[in-house]
Amino acid sequence: MTIFAANSPVATRAVADRPSELKRAQARAGYLFILPSFVLYLIFVLAPVIVTFLLSFTYYDPIEGATFVGLDNFRRFLTDDRSLQIFWNTLRFAFFAVSFNVGVGLALALALNRAMPSWLLYFFRLAFFLPVIIAAAFVSIVWSYFYGDELGVINYYLIQLGLTPVRWLTSSKTAMMSIIIMDVWKNTGFFMIIFIAALQGVPKTIMDAATMDGASYWRRFTKIILPWISPVIFFNIVYASIGALQVFESIVILTAGGPGDSTRSMSILIVEEAFGSFEIGYAASIAVVLTLVILLLTSLQLLGSRRWVSY
Amino acid sequence: MFRGIAKLALSAAIGLAALSAAHAQSDEKATLKLMSFGGEAQTTAIKHAIERFNKDYPNVTVELTMDPISTGWGDYVTRVLSQFNARNAADVYGTAIETFRTFESKKLFVPLDDYIAANPGYSDFAPSLFEQSSYQGKTYFIPIGWNNIMINYNRALFRDAGVDLPKDTVWNWDEFRDVAKKLTKRDAAGNATQFGYEVPSQFFFVQPWFFSNGTSILNKDWSGSNMLDPKVAESLQYLHDLIHVDKVSPIPGKETMDNQFMAGQVAMISRGHWIVQNAINAKLDMDVAIPPKKETDATVIGFGGYAVSRTSEHPELAKALISELTSFETQKEEGEGGGGVPGRKTAAETKAFLAFPPSAALYYKTLPNTIPVPSPANFQEVEKIFIRNYQAMMADEIPIAEGVKKTHEELEASFKRLASKG
Repeated sequence: MTIFAANSPVATRAVADRPSELKRAQARAGYLFILPSFVLYLIFVLAPVIVTFLLSFTYYDPIEGATFVGLDNFRRFLTDDRSLQIFWNTLRFAFFAVSFNVGVGLALALALNRAMPSWLLYFFRLAFFLPVIIAAAFVSIVWSYFYGDELGVINYYLIQLGLTPVRWLTSSKTAMMSIIIMDVWKNTGFFMIIFIAALQGVPKTIMDAATMDGASYWRRFTKIILPWISPVIFFNIVYASIGALQVFESIVILTAGGPGDSTRSMSILIVEEAFGSFEIGYAASIAVVLTLVILLLTSLQLLGSRRWVSY
Repeated sequence: MFRGIAKLALSAAIGLAALSAAHAQSDEKATLKLMSFGGEAQTTAIKHAIERFNKDYPNVTVELTMDPISTGWGDYVTRVLSQFNARNAADVYGTAIETFRTFESKKLFVPLDDYIAANPGYSDFAPSLFEQSSYQGKTYFIPIGWNNIMINYNRALFRDAGVDLPKDTVWNWDEFRDVAKKLTKRDAAGNATQFGYEVPSQFFFVQPWFFSNGTSILNKDWSGSNMLDPKVAESLQYLHDLIHVDKVSPIPGKETMDNQFMAGQVAMISRGHWIVQNAINAKLDMDVAIPPKKETDATVIGFGGYAVSRTSEHPELAKALISELTSFETQKEEGEGGGGVPGRKTAAETKAFLAFPPSAALYYKTLPNTIPVPSPANFQEVEKIFIRNYQAMMADEIPIAEGVKKTHEELEASFKRLASKG
């Protein structure tokens, strides 16, 4: 017995709501197309994240396997004398590296976003972007020579100018600054390129109208350019922050975290604990803490962005 | 004369032993996995050894994996442990003393005492190398090349400064300090243009400064810290003063000063035999001297060794492969190619090996006065703790007394964790 007649309004709506065979075939094809990337994401992103989280509650021996230790690893990290300094180093590096990478990148983009011969424009863009594509291993050799205490290039010129040489990498007072300088030199070109693309999207008509109305460059910059590219600035800040909080390469190649712990970051600590001390579980717990810190800071940035980003 | 005849007789005996060992070709079929370490010279020598092995075992395929140890022994240990974990372990492993205790404590390799006893050719190796390869009364490694830290010095810079060459005399800490001062040059502004010495920045290189003072950073059985021994602080203070009082050395940082030594900007550095090939390439007028003594003239030794995996399905074939890898031919080729002093004494007495540096005979002469680099099962952690605090002390970031105490506490915590893992 049928409840509704085949041509009743309810039955008609039910048929209309049901996707057609064609649509279902298209959906199947769509799912099949995204399946490889979903499987790759599952294997190479989601699974390692889950495994890291689970490992953080264990003592893991590569031969014997894992033993559940509850919150011991987190307790050890939170009570270790070194943790606070290493955490502070990471935040300090992130704050200055993000400020200068994004700030200098924007300044360079503004400087290059003006009329000039195309060969000169490409020359400058290439010059500032080149460090981004050079392998850090080569960069490290050059900067180590620059930063040498007494036989270094920078100190040689400081001495020639009658100035006091600086202990660039061997003093806790200056080592972090030296790393930030190299990091900005290496990475700011990337942010410059993104800003140049954003600046080229600022409508010329609006800029021309403002100029005709007598607006100064500063006024055009603060009232038109900055609001227009604010989503890109926000993207760059978030992107740079996530990268800076995971800083590893720049520090390892120059100081390896020294002197003492004065430049050691959380990522370096994770690698040292995991592959130096074979404390895989402990390293996983630090990785979980670092992930939570990144999530927290990114969320705060997202919340704050509502006040200044124009979408 | 007699010594020459004795050498000839020994070489002949080894040759005869090798000939008698070279039995008829085996028809055994197998694949052996060999994982070892080193650079180009070691790789070439090992490949030649495999070729010789295959003359006796033509149906055995040897798959060689080399690790350049470019990021330290920690990564190598991780790699080996992962292979055992994945049940994909090699049959034969070449590794170094820094990892011996880690692997031994996890029982990854088979004892080789019977094999050593059955091979009289191993009497050509210094017994101390076998002793230092033993753990709980059993020998798990057949030693190969070794390195002891010597003072490598630029003879031209000594002559320029009018300083007598140290040659093979035993000098003391004060004499060394005076020499380093004379070899340090400064410009009109007082800035160093040439350093007399490089205070070491690496764990292995710095150990002679403790051993020569009759102490060590760890206790005798490597089960705990010995940092609170006043002699440890005394050694550290001496090195600190070379940098900050005498100003004969830069502050040790992440980078070593090998390039500056080769370029004649540093007169003396503490290194092993591995530096010889670079010195030859750089045409450096270099020689070696015994590290200066305070209480003893002991220096540090580190060496490599081959072991047979406990999971190997062909342990006898693996041992036969080790016989070839530790043969006179292989040891001679490795020694002459640079990278370490051959474990076989006869291979370290060849004309080519003794040709450079002029005092190359000192390497073997000092062997009886060597102490192995402290290498507990938690070596990687011990090394990091020590170097982190050592560099902070040398950079004047923390006073020696505070640094010694801090290092002691961290080392003790590490050993406590090690003990809790059983």
